[in-house]
Amino acid sequence: MELFNLEHKKLWRKNSTRICVLLCLLYCVGLGSFLVYQWTIYGSTKENHMGHNFDGYENIRNCQAYSRKYEVLTDETLQEWVRDFQGLYVQLDEERKLQGKENLETVHKVNHADLYTVNGWIRTLYPELERADMLGVSVMCGYVEPEQLTGIYERREKAVDTFLEISGQTGAERDYLLQINDSVKEPFCWSWAEGWSNILGDTVSGLGTVLALFLAVVLSALFAGEWHDSTGPLLLTTKNGWKKLAAAKILTGMAFTLELFTMAAAGMVVLQIVFLGTEGWDMPIQMVKMIAIAPMNMLQAEIYEYAFTLLGALGFAGVVMLFSALCKNHVLALLMSLAVAYGPMTLRNRVPMVLEKVFDLMPLVGSGADIYRTNTFRLFGHYIWSPYLIIWVPFVIGILCLSPAVKGWARRMRG
Amino acid sequence: MELSVDRLTKHYGSKIAVDCVSAVLKPGVYGLLGENGAGKTTLMRMLCAILESTSGEVFLDGREIVSMGAEYRDILGYLPQDFGYYPNYTAREFLLYMAALKGIPRDMAKKRAGELLEVVGLNDVGTKKMKTFSGGMKQRVGIAQALLNHPKLLILDEPTAGLDPKERVRFRNLISDYADGRIVILSTHIVSDIEAIADEVLLMKKGKLVSQGTVSELTKEAAGKVWELTVSPAEAKSWQERASVANLRHEGDQVVLRILADEKPAEGAVPCEATLEDLYLYSMQA
Repeated sequence: MELFNLEHKKLWRKNSTRICVLLCLLYCVGLGSFLVYQWTIYGSTKENHMGHNFDGYENIRNCQAYSRKYEVLTDETLQEWVRDFQGLYVQLDEERKLQGKENLETVHKVNHADLYTVNGWIRTLYPELERADMLGVSVMCGYVEPEQLTGIYERREKAVDTFLEISGQTGAERDYLLQINDSVKEPFCWSWAEGWSNILGDTVSGLGTVLALFLAVVLSALFAGEWHDSTGPLLLTTKNGWKKLAAAKILTGMAFTLELFTMAAAGMVVLQIVFLGTEGWDMPIQMVKMIAIAPMNMLQAEIYEYAFTLLGALGFAGVVMLFSALCKNHVLALLMSLAVAYGPMTLRNRVPMVLEKVFDLMPLVGSGADIYRTNTFRLFGHYIWSPYLIIWVPFVIGILCLSPAVKGWARRMRG
Repeated sequence: MELSVDRLTKHYGSKIAVDCVSAVLKPGVYGLLGENGAGKTTLMRMLCAILESTSGEVFLDGREIVSMGAEYRDILGYLPQDFGYYPNYTAREFLLYMAALKGIPRDMAKKRAGELLEVVGLNDVGTKKMKTFSGGMKQRVGIAQALLNHPKLLILDEPTAGLDPKERVRFRNLISDYADGRIVILSTHIVSDIEAIADEVLLMKKGKLVSQGTVSELTKEAAGKVWELTVSPAEAKSWQERASVANLRHEGDQVVLRILADEKPAEGAVPCEATLEDLYLYSMQA
């Protein structure tokens, strides 16, 4: 334990570690959360629709208030929403004709409507209503007849079915996925969904990409840095300098990963609560993507994504420490670590599906946002929904790297 | 206690760094002498079990050292030639860190670190970061860490490098006191250090152990081969080119040369008493 404490202290005393942690927090909490909430995404759009104002906090509350009145997604509430929205459009037109410009209040009301989310539902569930002569994604809400928006949950079942068919998922695989979908509870409760959509689609899943960089920089020097400091021969001639030191270093690497993740995640969650509150936590994720099959609400999905990132980060830490133990040069260990994360990340959308699925199993390469997808892995004749596997396999890979890391370190020490 | 080296050999590709070295070392101070590249550091690293030999073995009291593992490292103190340290650590923190690696309990380690800082003359700067230390101060921290676990076998690779004359004297006294009942092996280029404290000298050349014995035994080998010759400055240059000149000293307008040669080099040359340095230089030129 004392060795672990000393190693842990040693890691945190390095300037490179402190700089990495600072940059990571600055990026995840400062740029990736605070500025996003207050300005770049959630700030109200200016009248000319160019850029955003620095008023995200207030704007988010207005958006939430707009959606709050619908409570539950039914045919009636969807129709009501579309009617309200089309009414605002008509009002804008009239204001333009009468005054030569729109009232700012009306413009804000339009902006506070969860337009992109609802439009996404309508495009997914009522594709036959889309008019070829009306281009753009945000306009369907503006021209569909509200009365035509009926049978929303039946439509959803059909859309899931069609999507699976188009994706080539048939037979037992399709039955398995539909079985998961059967657990999705209806009707869906309705709150402002855009905030949750960003959190689950970008914010949390993006955390892993950032962590990979800083973990690689800090942990690649954990073992290999001893050679750089010329302390290797000194450590190796001590009683505990072989396996016990290696074990202490591995524990330190894992503890640091947990600490970095916790600091970043805690900062992000605190800002999420400050800006978005907890409203809508019990909405099903289908409110973000109608044809998702996972029976999860927003909170469960967020917990899954954070757990996915943490396990992926721990798995990645194991891989980096293996490289660090096997290389005497920490720059080489760093390059190998970055290549193992960012190489597959870059290539995963350009390779055949089979290879993409293999890449998804590598630490921090796959995405927690896979909860929206209908991928499966086939193991021993059984289908397994991909999120069940991609959350654990990267962690197991990292754990499997630890033993070779200790052995590699011991072998390295003997020249 | 007996450290026995049996035909120890190390090859790096086609280069032979240590060539079939055998020796039996009992408690005492052993000075390892040899020019750069003679294989001293390689030999020491193999004695520390951090470098695998190509062939041959090292035994401590009849037990092969690699198989002894942690038990061997527990009685070993080592100062490598390129002593590495953590720049952001203070001398005291560094010693406590090394003590933990050596398995010394925390309370004992604190006491021992304090004692050793005193012994190496760094007590007043023990709380300063090592990155602010001079080369000699860092070297003294290195010596202190090697002594932390009261090692029965102490291996010091160039321990006096960077030490000023006062510190060298302090170091020599420290090692002389410490060596009682223990094996201390040290390498250095400073022959006078070895002359002052080594009970036995091991002379290495091109990976081979060419001589072993006490200082007086070895200097006897050079007896009758050291001459002093007084010449003019112009002649001195000529002598330096055609003979092995160990020293050159100006006396008035004349130059006194110390020449190593098997036979009397010139009519005016007078024999003089050989030193370890003479033997060292004589062996290296042979």
